Amino acid sequence: MIVSVYKTIRGGFTLKMKKWLMTILSLVLVLGIFAGCSNKDASNDKNDDPDAWKKWEGTITMWDGPRWADKKDNKYHWIEDKIAEFQEEYPGVKIDLVKTPWAEMNDKLSVAIAGRAWPDIAPVDISGGSVNINHIKQGVVAPFDPYLTEDEKADFYDNAVEAYTYDSKLYGIPNSISVHAMLLNLDIFEEKGVEPPKDGKWTYDEFVEKMEALTGDKVDGFSTYILPGYYEAWPFLLMDGGYPLSEDLSEYTFDSEEAISGLQKLVDLKFKYEVTPESMGGQDVGGTWKAWAANDQRTVAVEPWATWAIASAQGEEFKTNFMVAQYPTGKTGEPVTIGGVGGWVMFNSEDETKKRVAAEFVKHISSTDEQVTMAKNYGIFPARKSAAEQEPFADNPQMAKAQELSKHAVMVPRHPSWARIDEAIQKQLQLALNGEKTPKEALKSAGETVEAILNE
Amino acid sequence: MGIKPALKTDFDPKPVKKQSRMKVLLIQINKNKVAYLFLMPKLIFFALFMLIPIVWSFVLSFQEFNIMGSTWVGIENYVDAFQSKVFRISLWNTLLYTIITVPAFVLTALLIATLVQPLGKLSQSFFRAAFYLPTVTSMVIIAMVWRWMYNYKFGLFNYIVGLLGMDPVNWLGQSDTALLSLMIMSILIPPGSGIIIYLAAMNEIDQTLYEAAKIDGANTFQRWWRITVPMLKPTTLYLFILSTIGSFQVFTQIIMMTGGGPGNATETIVHVIYKTAFRDFKFGLASAQSVILFFIIMIFAIFQYRTLRSDHH
Repeated sequence: MIVSVYKTIRGGFTLKMKKWLMTILSLVLVLGIFAGCSNKDASNDKNDDPDAWKKWEGTITMWDGPRWADKKDNKYHWIEDKIAEFQEEYPGVKIDLVKTPWAEMNDKLSVAIAGRAWPDIAPVDISGGSVNINHIKQGVVAPFDPYLTEDEKADFYDNAVEAYTYDSKLYGIPNSISVHAMLLNLDIFEEKGVEPPKDGKWTYDEFVEKMEALTGDKVDGFSTYILPGYYEAWPFLLMDGGYPLSEDLSEYTFDSEEAISGLQKLVDLKFKYEVTPESMGGQDVGGTWKAWAANDQRTVAVEPWATWAIASAQGEEFKTNFMVAQYPTGKTGEPVTIGGVGGWVMFNSEDETKKRVAAEFVKHISSTDEQVTMAKNYGIFPARKSAAEQEPFADNPQMAKAQELSKHAVMVPRHPSWARIDEAIQKQLQLALNGEKTPKEALKSAGETVEAILNE
Repeated sequence: MGIKPALKTDFDPKPVKKQSRMKVLLIQINKNKVAYLFLMPKLIFFALFMLIPIVWSFVLSFQEFNIMGSTWVGIENYVDAFQSKVFRISLWNTLLYTIITVPAFVLTALLIATLVQPLGKLSQSFFRAAFYLPTVTSMVIIAMVWRWMYNYKFGLFNYIVGLLGMDPVNWLGQSDTALLSLMIMSILIPPGSGIIIYLAAMNEIDQTLYEAAKIDGANTFQRWWRITVPMLKPTTLYLFILSTIGSFQVFTQIIMMTGGGPGNATETIVHVIYKTAFRDFKFGLASAQSVILFFIIMIFAIFQYRTLRSDHH
């Protein structure tokens, strides 16, 4: 057999063989034309029936992290309920939930993307971490605009929509807004006879005065930590008008006088006013939290934290008598905080109908009611105006105060290499806060690395 | 035309040699086919999960990785790796870490094994288990405990420093103490595997050598120095190479305790590779960095082998 094929190739086709070949090719062509027509008919059917996607049958893979626990201590009960509801409405759809701890979410997603085995839906912030603008450029993330009307889009806060927009297209559904705020241990304030700031507002000078009064007898007024990807300390750098990059993201601007004076104010808390522990500005997140919240410690009166800490300080393990205050104001006179937007991202698939179904599920889990539920139980600020209007924090003054701060939230620059830029800056901030460099030297050194990244 | 092959066969001995070698190999495989059959699953797994990824990462090191298709960039990734200041710092930090911790690991293992070996069977078993315990404990847990021990306010180290009447030290927060702290941690964790291997090797040494030395008037230290240490040379070489590989790949302590900081004071090669690959998605550059690490370890292993190899088998 092999020999005859070889001989045919070497010797050329005989006339009889050519005839057979022509017949087979003609048949394939005719069948192809018919098949093309039938495909066309099918797609016409699809176009005629806008609800045809509802009959789609298949599996959608979604990743989610643990959220609040139910009575059985199941931290995935909310998403499991939502999946069950959706599957009941669309019987042909099966949604596979991949339970992924938040600490592993970025790494696992990075590996999945690199291996082109991404899920259909995942809860990610497109500004950095595992999914960034480079992925959008490479077509990994699917645009969401085709599945959202202008009216639906108008229900989201502008800064939330902006965070998920690239090149005028929306890449995901914003679900929550988070901010950083100062948490004040009121027991320590009371013990030291220090009046907390009225309405949580204070200038830098007032802040220093209170921190000095709180410091002593094994208690420090203020503490925080510095680590890439964490922005608790950054509002100090912004309070005099500093910002890391120019508006067009082409220049490093954290070496400006405004940024240097902001960092100087933070450094002064440690070396000039001596109102912080020696370890302030280190990399120990857990240790910093425990120094403020753990029952057996509580050696720091004031620490800035992201919104999750409010819910944690209201919980059983770290129940604390505390209030939420804004960051002290600097030369701009405006309180500044760093904000973040979380949401759902839909990954690209060749199956357009599958994407349509996945989009419907994303809308299902990010509806007004769901955002209210999440705000009440999970301690996040809704990205939908209609959800915020329902005042989910009416009986939670600490969260309500933090929500007020979201008005002043500044987002980190959305540069494709932000993770590297951020690391270059944060590492220099560590050196400024351990006294190895002056604020000016640190921010200039960071600039050298950042400029090189920007020029790549 | 027809004469050429005949001439080649007659006068060129190479093909004949090649054929006979192949034949010998096939005969050997055929002879030991049962052994090869048993080895097959392991070999398949080795090829799938070790060999192919290693070869693939070598190929990837000459490419710019892109999710939708990579492009060939020649040695650009290698140039970028060496031009990166952070990578150069990480090379130096890792080298320093290895130079300090590896001899300390081997020496500690040898000394502890020497002290444990003369004990009775029961005591030996107890100490073996006790010293091996940290080896089976997750490095993540050990790193968390050590982070507490280095805590500025509540840590054990600053408590001791306080007892000595000195000021507390910001162990992990200062550039000049952070890497040193990680080295101290590495040195103070008992080298469980090293002790077990040394004990096994010591028990294999011919006792008549010690008896002869004793008759010749050698004291305990002389017997240890002149018999035990030389006879353990192959084991020492093995431990040196193994711990060098481990030291060059130090990662968990870094990510758990310092994140490479303050500044770049504790940045190590594998931590940089990890960030380059999984944070920056530069898999080509990360592969080039991995290949560089591979060659560094290989050079060290060859150097150690040549320095410590022994005629004793």
